[in-house]
Formats: sequence, C-alpha cells, structure tokens
Amino acid sequence: MNAIVKTGLSAAAVSALLLSGLPATAETIFLSTQARPIEEAEAMRNEVLGQYDGEVDYIPQEDGPFLNRILAEAEAGKVSVGLLGALHGNFPVLASADALEPIDDVLSGLGDRKLIGTFVELGKLGTGKQHYVPWMQASYVMAANRQALQYLPEGADVMALTYDQLAQWAANVSAATGERKLGFPAGRKGLMHRFFQGYLYPSFTDSVVTEYRSDKAVAMWASFKEMWKHVNPRSTSYDFMQEPLMADEVWIAFDHTARLMDAFNRRPDDFIAFPAPAGPEGRGFMPVVAGLAIPANAPDRAAAVKLIDYMTRPETQIETLKAIGFFPAVEMDLPDDLPRGVQIAGAAVSAQAASADANPSLLPVGLGDKGREFNKVFLDTFQLIVIRGADIDKTLDRQAGNLRKLMEETGAPCWAPDEPSSGACPVK
Amino acid sequence: MADITPDSLKDERSFLDRILPRWNVWQWLFVTVCVILCLWVLLPIYLLVLSAFSPRDAVFAWPKAFLPTDISTDTIAFFFGVRGVLSAFLNSVLVAALTMIISIGLGAPAGYALARFRFRGKDSFRLMIVMTRAFPIAILALPLTVTFIKLGLYDTVFGVALVHSALALPFAVLISSSLFMGIPFELEEAAWTMGCTRAQAFWRVVMPIATPGLAAAAIFAFVISWNEVFAATILTLQQPTLTAFLLTTLSESPLYFRFAGGFFLVVPALIFIFAVRKYLFSMWGIANR
Repeated sequence: MNAIVKTGLSAAAVSALLLSGLPATAETIFLSTQARPIEEAEAMRNEVLGQYDGEVDYIPQEDGPFLNRILAEAEAGKVSVGLLGALHGNFPVLASADALEPIDDVLSGLGDRKLIGTFVELGKLGTGKQHYVPWMQASYVMAANRQALQYLPEGADVMALTYDQLAQWAANVSAATGERKLGFPAGRKGLMHRFFQGYLYPSFTDSVVTEYRSDKAVAMWASFKEMWKHVNPRSTSYDFMQEPLMADEVWIAFDHTARLMDAFNRRPDDFIAFPAPAGPEGRGFMPVVAGLAIPANAPDRAAAVKLIDYMTRPETQIETLKAIGFFPAVEMDLPDDLPRGVQIAGAAVSAQAASADANPSLLPVGLGDKGREFNKVFLDTFQLIVIRGADIDKTLDRQAGNLRKLMEETGAPCWAPDEPSSGACPVK
Repeated sequence: MADITPDSLKDERSFLDRILPRWNVWQWLFVTVCVILCLWVLLPIYLLVLSAFSPRDAVFAWPKAFLPTDISTDTIAFFFGVRGVLSAFLNSVLVAALTMIISIGLGAPAGYALARFRFRGKDSFRLMIVMTRAFPIAILALPLTVTFIKLGLYDTVFGVALVHSALALPFAVLISSSLFMGIPFELEEAAWTMGCTRAQAFWRVVMPIATPGLAAAAIFAFVISWNEVFAATILTLQQPTLTAFLLTTLSESPLYFRFAGGFFLVVPALIFIFAVRKYLFSMWGIANR
C-alpha cells in the first residue's frame, strides 16, 4: 500500500513540476488542417520548415478541433497560435467571428511573388480585406491501374474521356474481370461531395446551384445511377482512393491528388493519372486552395509575416510539392527532378486545366459556416438516388428546397460556373 | 468371435483417442468457448503486430501471410523518430496516472460514504453521479476550452487529467461503493472493539480486502484516460497526449502506419494491465500466483 501511495505522490510531484514549468518559448505555432497524415506532417517539419531561419512548431489538426481552438482563443482573448494554414472553406467561419487579422500589408509585401490572381481574390472571402494569402493548391483527378487500359472503349482517349466512355470502360472491366473496379471516395472522410459540386454538375448542367433540379440534372443523376452498377460497392467506405488502388480492389478511381499520391509514388509504373471526364457542358473540374492567415491578436505578428514570406517563396513551394503533393499557388515553372508521383499527378492536373473543353468551377464562396450543410445537400441526394434508389424527380424537388433555403439564409451570390447574381444565388 | 489379444485391443483406440484427453461433451464445449474467446481477443492483436512489423507493401498483399516470414521494423522505427512522440507518450502516462490518483482519491471516499452512511438525498446523489456522463463533451468543447484558457489550465497535463477524472469518477464511485458494501460492517466493528480507531480499522481491516477492487477501478480510470481523444485534442496544443497526437493523424495515414500506430497505442496499455494483473486475478478469486 505504501508503495502505491509513494508512487502516487511522486507522480503528483512530477506533474506539479510540469505544470509550473510550462515553456514560454518564442517559437511560432503553425496550426494547420493540411498535411495531417503522419508522414506528411513529418515532411512538413523536416523538409519544408527545416530550412526556415526561426523556430516553428508545426501542428496539424482536424477541422473541428482546429476551428474550436481558434474560436476559443479569440473568445478568451489569449491567443497562442501564430499562423494558420487551412483550406479556403475553413476561413469564412473564422473571419465572421473576427478571429482573423487583415493582412493586406503582408500581401503587398509579397509583390514579386506572382501569386495566382483568382486565389488572391478568393482570399478576400468576398470582403474588401485580404484574410488569407494563397499557400498551395491541388485538384481532383482520375487514376487508373495500367491493367485496366486494355478495356478502354473503342476510340476513347484516356486523356480526354467523356462520362459515357468512363461508364462503358467500367462496364467492360466488370464484364472481363467479373469485379466492379471503378471506385469513388464516398466514405465518411472521403471527398465525394466535391465530385458532385466541381465535376458532375458543371459537366452536365454548367451550374452547381441554379440548375440543381433542372432536366439536365435529372438526366445526369439517371446516368450516374446507371454507372454506379459498375462501381465497387465498397466505395461507400473509401476515404482515400490510394488504398483500394494499391490493394487492387479498384482499377479506376477519382480523388484528390494528395489522396492518390501514395499509389503514384509507391508504384509509379502501375498507375496513370488522367483528367476527369467531360459531359455535355464541358470538362468540369475544381481547384482546391489552401491559404495562410494570421489570427487576430497573434502573439508575434512579425514572426508570422516572416513565415508567410518563407512559405510562399518558389523554392519552399517546390519543397511543399515534394513533401505533401500540393502544387504551388504562385505562377512558376516546375523543375524536372520531382518525385515520380508528383510528375504523374501534375501532368493530369495541367492537362485537365488546359483541356479545350475545360469548365472550371470555383470553391463555394460566401456560405460562411454553412459549408458542411451545403455538402450535405449533395451527399444526401446521392445517398437517396444512387444508393437507396429513390425517385429522382421527387428527391431533387425536395433537396432543391433545402438548397434554396440554405442559399437564402447565407445570401451567398452565385460563383462559377453559375452566372453571377445580385442577391442570393437562386435555385430554379 | 475373434480372440482378444493385446494387439487388437490397441487397435480399437484410434489415434485421436490416444492424444486427446477424455472429457465429456460439456468440458469440450467449455474448452471450445474458451479457445474462441481467446482467439477473439488475441487474433486481431496478432494480426496488428504482424502487420506493424511487415514491410510496407506486404500490408496490401493478398492473401495475407499468416506467419512472420518477412520482418521489417521500418514503419515502427519511423514512429520513434517522429518529433514529439516521446513527450506525448510521457504526457499520456502522466495524465493517466493523475487521473487514477484523482478519481480513486475522490471516488473511494465517496463510495465508502455511499456504502456506509445513510444521508438525505443519497439516491439522487447516486443518480447525479451518472448524470455527469450524460453530456457529450463535443457540445461543451468551446466553453470548456475558453474556461480552461482563462484559468490557465489550457495545454497542461493537469488540465487534461481533470477532465479525464470527471469522466472516470462516476465509475470509480460506483465500483468502490459496491465494493465497500460487500465488506461486512461487522469486521470494522470488531476492529473497534479490539482498540482500533475508526481510521485504523479502515486502514488495517477494510483496505486490505478492498485493494484488489480499487485496483480494478484504477485500471478502469487508466484505460478511460488512455483511450480518450476528444478532450485531450481540444485542450492541448503543444502538450498532447499520445492518443491525441497519433489518433487524429493516423486515421488519415496510409494503412501501414495505422497498423504500426495501433501497435504503438495498444502495447503500453497491455503492459500496464499485465503489471497489475495480480490485483485483477485476486478480485476474481483466482489464487495469487
């Protein structure tokens, strides 16, 4: 018994020491929702930030705790985080809670960087002030196992597929192998909603919001439901398509470049990357933008500004690309000595953006903290129509009502590819 | 009828009969269930360990190799190299130890009081204890973090231990109260008549009987703290616990890291339970060996 008491007391003493001796270091805390997988986080710390002249503690965190922490620190008025790195969609919540510091001066200090104009504009979050500086970008592409290429439909060019050809291809593969080998990241943490918002809807309706329940959309869902017959049923549990690809469960897949990178890097001779298919209204695709922001009342603004300057340098951007597979947010030529995976994905990303029928769609703007609900509308429609086989017309009618309510609540004007609107983006 | 010779007798017993013990059906059933239950627990751990020590590509291979033919410590070694893992490990141990001390330190007296004394509102008190588990932390996240920042408990080991104790306390109180109820009050009275004070009687008579049960409650507190992710994630920044540090990143890491990380998280808990097993066994009435 005495031994237990002794151990207890010494543990208490040690913890008391820990409590009183909390380090008050001068290092900048860089909190980020990106590069979370353990290997990427290490690469950020060692390769990207290793060269930085200064102390940085890179802490990756999931969106929920990330937002919670910044909001809590802002509310308590005691901010410890120095720099924020997150996707475009995370910032509006923080900006509307006044948790972000305007950084127009930082941006003008980066004058010679050639930051991509559209992204800088996105960084204003629809206000007059700059809230974040573009950090890096990515996109979603398709990946395929080389074994699948022999089943491509007659006359189809894999670098310029259409949705009909993709469906035929998947059907050919399942006829030949007896397995459904097309895959989508429709798992709990998958990014399936982006497929509908940035790829399927723009390709078929040239719209995301306005034509949500149009006749074109009805036809689109019907054909997607038809295509789903050749989609691996385990798609609803896939979060990162690189895993089913490497396990050979799936031969053809759609996902975020960073979530395919491991497959390209580990087996570069087995996989190819290619642009997303085109529909009647062009080849819809969506860029992903991550930005750097400074929280209001940050402990050391100068250090954060210095870190932003470092992160947007061309050489750092290349290091970031090598480390975590996100592409530069500055206009620059990529060197030739990049890892194989990056080369494979990069070729598909630029072919997609440069294709003649490209129909780029932007990330949702102005939804504030309703971004998740916006995604849910698309995911629910998919669940109902494709997975549960609900009636397409009725489902779209009901879901269009939800979407309309959401758009009116937030008052968000339309973004590309929808025509600009003066008030809230209308749902026809 | 053929002659009975020793040779023919031997033949009647089949090979299986000779190597298997002579049990009746129920004994066989019992043993089978035991084996199934052991496999239920051990097989996943075995596969976890196997995958953690396999080369990265083997994790995706199919069919899976069931025997460790190809051992590689690459992935595991990576974990030890990750900056912050060791301090996170230390934080986890400290938080779990503090949680044990606080929840048993407060829970055991409370349990004793519930078991021995009659007081007004005893039943509603019992209910209130369980009520603390009724509120999901996710709802409390923002106010909790704000309060912790204001109190200066944010990002400290002690702060996380406090929250974990709040989660573990109900169990500590309920386990220890039923424990003390099972120890006859007469034993204490006998000790008093022999000259013990109340405290001495408790310490010398009740405690030795209660120790195994309290140890079990302590293990429970340890496991709750060790496994808790959410509070540990939102309340720490630079001082995360191992689970907070690894679990969020692991769920998005490639498969081979998940196996290695799972191994990394499971082993300390196994070692701890192994270390205190004698208390557990003695509570279940198995002789102390």
